[in-house]
Amino acid sequence: MSLDPEDEMQAAEFALGTLEPGERATLAARRLREPDLAAAIGEWEHRLSPLVDAAPEVEPPRELFADIETRVHGHRRSKRAVATTTPNGGGDAEELQIQLRRWRGTAVAASIVLALVLSGFAFREVTRDGAPRQFVAVLQKSADAPAFAVSINLDTREFTVRPVAAPAPAGKSYELWLIEASLGAPRSLGIIDAASVTRAGRLQGYDRAVVADATYAVTLEPRGGSPTGAPSGAPVFVGKLIPVDP
Amino acid sequence: MIMAPQSPEGSNPGSAFELGDLLARVANWDRAAFARLYDLTHAKLYGIVSRIVRGPDASCDVLQDVYVRLWERAGDYDASRGAPLAWMATIARNRALDEVRRVRPISLEDISGNFEPAAEEVNPLRARQNSEEARALLRCLEGLDEEKRRMVLLAYYHGESREALSRRFGRPIATVKTWLRRSLAQLKDCLGS
Repeated sequence: MSLDPEDEMQAAEFALGTLEPGERATLAARRLREPDLAAAIGEWEHRLSPLVDAAPEVEPPRELFADIETRVHGHRRSKRAVATTTPNGGGDAEELQIQLRRWRGTAVAASIVLALVLSGFAFREVTRDGAPRQFVAVLQKSADAPAFAVSINLDTREFTVRPVAAPAPAGKSYELWLIEASLGAPRSLGIIDAASVTRAGRLQGYDRAVVADATYAVTLEPRGGSPTGAPSGAPVFVGKLIPVDP
Repeated sequence: MIMAPQSPEGSNPGSAFELGDLLARVANWDRAAFARLYDLTHAKLYGIVSRIVRGPDASCDVLQDVYVRLWERAGDYDASRGAPLAWMATIARNRALDEVRRVRPISLEDISGNFEPAAEEVNPLRARQNSEEARALLRCLEGLDEEKRRMVLLAYYHGESREALSRRFGRPIATVKTWLRRSLAQLKDCLGS
């Protein structure tokens, strides 16, 4: 295994827990689709795990198992329902998440699978020069909690945002932002719907390289979007594009 | 694929053998096994979570998430890659760290958290170790300078960020990052030799 030394140290710090929030979210997402990196993180987790022997036990302040059972029971029901659910037929987001977790166990690149399943077709469009033109980003706050799947066609600069599991809080809107060093401030790509698919061509003014390299972030804004044109707070979900090609 | 580890401890309650067996049964949606697994492990996992996450309410929420995850992912446990409790603890730590490293706006809670009295530091060098793996890791930890060792342990047990360590030790964040990475690299070399 030949891992970039910086990635090796990021894997070590991921396991120790000292990555900054953005670094941690990025590494958690990469862990799902880069087997070498995932293996390095796993090795570091294993290397440090004997330390838990010395962690003193603490009894929780209240009884929790009944609540856990209630949640688990719901999940069990969902699991049975999965077999009869068509993933792209508007299936329940909870079920999709459970499917996603199951798939991850089979070492499939889950973020890609998620995007493919949600879109209902496999895009393997490649330009004549062989460069991939279809990209996806899974915006999430942690590896297990994908919230939106964004797919972008670099040629047309059109993008599609599909919610996975992101209930919009009352009175709030989700707003999508494009963050790229050369642009300076984050650029709004508009409000995205947490309940249905958003399609838009709002990237048309941006350079192909900018669109490909940018970080995509979602913030929670007052209903209707940021009143100032700048994000009102830190992103709640972030992701980078990965090419969808063989 | 789950294989219960062969252990000289046999089926003692809470042994790696029993926990491995329980995880295998939980992977087949055995709710009684899940209840037993909770009984045997929740105080350990709450101990890990509550040192990293601030406040009992948030810690309880995280612990619930951890067990929901264990229910869903028990089938991912691979005995060849470590003891069952270490695997469960890694899931608990990651969930707790995700909570405190969430990308989010600064809230009042984050600021007031700085005024909490420091929790007692966990020092594994004083604890009695029974696994060979733990003894090897501790020997290597003893090879680090005291300050660097404390940084690693505060990060591991208390989820302290580079910034928190920078404040605690009065060192620039960049220095903390460099020291953490050097310490981790030194541990890896030491364990590999």
